[in-house]
Amino acid sequence: MTSTRFTPLSQHTIGPFFPATFFQEGDNDLTRVSADAPPTERGERIVLRGRLTKLNGAPVVNGIVELWQADSAGRFRHPEDPAWQEADPNFLGWGRAWTDADGQYSFHTVIPGGYVEGNQWRAPHANILIMAAGLMRPVHTTLFFPDFAEANAADPVLAVLPAALRPRLVAVDDGRTDGVRAFRFDIRLRAGRDEETPFFEV
Amino acid sequence: MNESTTPRRFDPWPAGVQPQVPIEGYPSTWDFTPSQSLFPRPATRTELTGPFELWRKLPCSENNLAVVSPGRTAQGQLIHIEGRILDEDGKPVRGAVVELWQANAAGRYRHALDQRAAPLDPDFIGNGRVRTDEEGRYAFFTIKPGAYPVPVKDTWWRPPHVHFSVLGPSTLSRLVTQMYFPADPLNDWDRILNSVPDPVARTRLIARQLPPAEVGDGWLGFRHDIVLRGRNATPVTP
Repeated sequence: MTSTRFTPLSQHTIGPFFPATFFQEGDNDLTRVSADAPPTERGERIVLRGRLTKLNGAPVVNGIVELWQADSAGRFRHPEDPAWQEADPNFLGWGRAWTDADGQYSFHTVIPGGYVEGNQWRAPHANILIMAAGLMRPVHTTLFFPDFAEANAADPVLAVLPAALRPRLVAVDDGRTDGVRAFRFDIRLRAGRDEETPFFEV
Repeated sequence: MNESTTPRRFDPWPAGVQPQVPIEGYPSTWDFTPSQSLFPRPATRTELTGPFELWRKLPCSENNLAVVSPGRTAQGQLIHIEGRILDEDGKPVRGAVVELWQANAAGRYRHALDQRAAPLDPDFIGNGRVRTDEEGRYAFFTIKPGAYPVPVKDTWWRPPHVHFSVLGPSTLSRLVTQMYFPADPLNDWDRILNSVPDPVARTRLIARQLPPAEVGDGWLGFRHDIVLRGRNATPVTP
């Protein structure tokens, strides 16, 4: 069965001027669907933060970091998830942060749950999309957590990477902030073989 | 379920559609772009899903950039941009969040990082956000943006263009692109537009001018359909 194919439009950079006016309070807070919505009551609240850098470790200013993750039980409120009806109604799973003059970003969220798909286990993880001036295509990576070494070792996405690169996608403990655990995930867009964050073709 | 549907739903990007980097005269395409090869990522549930009710987080009610407060209209040629968000089957993507931002009529952005000596318009901010309807339609009232020089050693000019960010039903269908205006001579020299190798793909980034009477009330009309990656992309509403 063949049908007419429509060709997707080409991707372009966001340029340096993604509007600050797009950002509203709460955009980087996944623990609430919106700034005036009730907070989720499920899962462990955490802070995810890090620094986005380009060539020579220089900060990426006005870069955009978008986060997408399952709820604390590993479910998505999306019809692709067979258990979507059980997903946390107070958790959208998406947030957007904006890097400051030092390239720093942060999110408030919860530790996602892992899930079973087919005969494989996905370890708890969050997908990250980065956009910035000069990046003609958004780049994609996936963040894992240091708490789940065993699950990480069996994760089919992490397994795509050579073993030596896998630790670069595992966030590190970063103390506590506002009474919750914090994790640090620095993202090096261009840093050469020894330091660059691994990114995925999508 | 996914074993049979995934490969068909998200084919690789067709040849010639993705921009080629680095772009000469645009040093940031070198400084920001990863130097190492990208790794293929299996499309699991996380990649095939996305925020289903994103409008709850991102309010989608800003469709008029030209009139930000009653009785005060931005300077420049008033235009109307409309189109549909479609998947690769040509089916409408319902409930997609469409963000648009642009320079003012003098080619300057209202942004702290744009310090060019061109006038700011007190009646123009330059960004809007809407949600597509049941037919995948979106529309904005705005003004035609001006061209502006790129501040690099061998200066070149960006043609008038509008930035689009579209959040569809999944991570894989996320699209960020730019829209150009038909028959602008600067299009032929733009290093960003021309980083797309396939001339037909470049043409798809250029809006179509509508017959002047079509929108009415003094808004010059343009149509721009946006195709996202993926087939069968509009999930059934839970």
